Amino acid sequence: MTEVTAVEIKGLRKLYGKFEALKGINLEVEPGTIFGLLGANGAGKTTMIKILVGSARLSSGEVRVMGLNPFKETARLRAITGYMPQAPALYEDLSARDNLSFFGAAHHLPHLKQRVAEVLEFTKLTSRQNDPVYAFSGGMKQRVSLACALIHQPQVLFLDEPTAGIDPRLRVAFWQHFRELARQGNTLFVSTHLMDEALLCDKLAVMRDGVVLVSDTPKNIMRMGRSRVHIWRGAEEKVFTVTNYPSQLPSLLQDYQLDPAITKIELEEDTLETIVLELINAKQPEMAEVAHV
Amino acid sequence: MSSPTLSPDLTRAGGEVGYALNRTLVITSRVLRQLSHDRRFLALSLVGPIVIVFFLKLFFDSLEGPGLVVSRYIVPVGAFIVHFLTYILCSLALVRERTSQTLARMFVNGFRRTEIILGYLLAYTLLATLQSLIVLVELAFFFNLNYSFGTQASIYLIIWLLAVISIALGIFLSNFARNEGQMLPTIPLIILPSVFLSGMLIAVDKLPEWVQWISRLTPLFYANNVIQKLIKPTGNIGDDWGSFIGLLVYGLIIMLLASLTLQERE
Repeated sequence: MTEVTAVEIKGLRKLYGKFEALKGINLEVEPGTIFGLLGANGAGKTTMIKILVGSARLSSGEVRVMGLNPFKETARLRAITGYMPQAPALYEDLSARDNLSFFGAAHHLPHLKQRVAEVLEFTKLTSRQNDPVYAFSGGMKQRVSLACALIHQPQVLFLDEPTAGIDPRLRVAFWQHFRELARQGNTLFVSTHLMDEALLCDKLAVMRDGVVLVSDTPKNIMRMGRSRVHIWRGAEEKVFTVTNYPSQLPSLLQDYQLDPAITKIELEEDTLETIVLELINAKQPEMAEVAHV
Repeated sequence: MSSPTLSPDLTRAGGEVGYALNRTLVITSRVLRQLSHDRRFLALSLVGPIVIVFFLKLFFDSLEGPGLVVSRYIVPVGAFIVHFLTYILCSLALVRERTSQTLARMFVNGFRRTEIILGYLLAYTLLATLQSLIVLVELAFFFNLNYSFGTQASIYLIIWLLAVISIALGIFLSNFARNEGQMLPTIPLIILPSVFLSGMLIAVDKLPEWVQWISRLTPLFYANNVIQKLIKPTGNIGDDWGSFIGLLVYGLIIMLLASLTLQERE
């Protein structure tokens, strides 16, 4: 028996009037993995996630989440998916506990109180559980929002920039938990514009202007970058750019025949940010500036 | 002998109804909790009608003269106050749900359109019940409305029904607004005209014929018709069944429209 694909997107297009937000996206996400969507603002990440959770209509194409059509098998889909929108989307005049209990009650969880306590504990909100959300910082609201998405232990989690405004220590804790969820067989579909987070994903799709520029593992995307070899002979520095240093470096160094005058060799690799910016820049230079900002 | 069991389909259907009812009450409970936390809103919602009726008393006291039947105006105006307040309070609350994206989150978590509408309707009906009671008691006190208990109860029923319909109307029209700013123009466009068109101030048959048709699109038209019959000596709801049923049908149609137009998806 073949395992069902967690997320399947075929020829997905989304039009807002005449504006084409998604231009024929094709993607597949394997279960039990963390899939990252990387791109600048306006790339189409949020639109794609909204379609996958059944919160926005598609103009054409086909999407499936765990084999379910979000527009026809809505009730079944909602029982197995969790969604954390970009904005906190919480009842600010209610407490964190009340918000969790409310969204949890929609799923008829048998041990709702216990589950609420667990999720509050994980998001480090137990001590502030009875405070109204309006009194929380932006990061705390994000934590409540994530807790609401996790309350019913969904198989597939859609997280739209989940760590925005969260302090670095908690961000690490979040990603450890994401990894643990993936290890347990859950699938995470995460949009981000943070390069260090993107590297933590199992697979990554770089988006620009409604198009997926590349979809691969972070390691393979990194290989698309170039390395610069800086060689100093005394005070003289020479820089060579190589695309595949493991195979190109030996021949490069052969020219020097281990010249004892060589005092220093430095290898400088492209960062993911550089690679992504170059991918974006390749077809539309002005987008690179936006992404850089 | 084996005990009778429901077929799996029926069991599932029964369960679904139970779940739907449960989710509706969860929404009602959440809205009421929000209302109870927002004491300023609650106080304004309940003090608002008291203040307006008081000013109304001052206004009619200065108008008093032979031949002026105050109750002919004051009871429908009381109904209008409740109609206006319940409409605006509920519609703004729902628009706020949309702008803060909690409405989208409710859908994604499995709440359904009908549950959201009924949940809101139930919660705000509780508030409207109090508002209707405050207005009626204050009107009776200030204007010495010495109606029998049956007439008072019937007037209350009509005002209460109008309040429930106003909530549904608020939900329905808020479905077309993306923010609070887009909701506000519905007050001068839809709510205020009913003051002039419903027969509250002048009889509808004195208006141009084409305007009379517009009158029928306002719930206050039906409520006012029944109230005008009720405040007559020995008047009762049965004196104008047509308008009473018209009010009920109007409410059902608005609820249906509200349910059909509440957008689950962008």
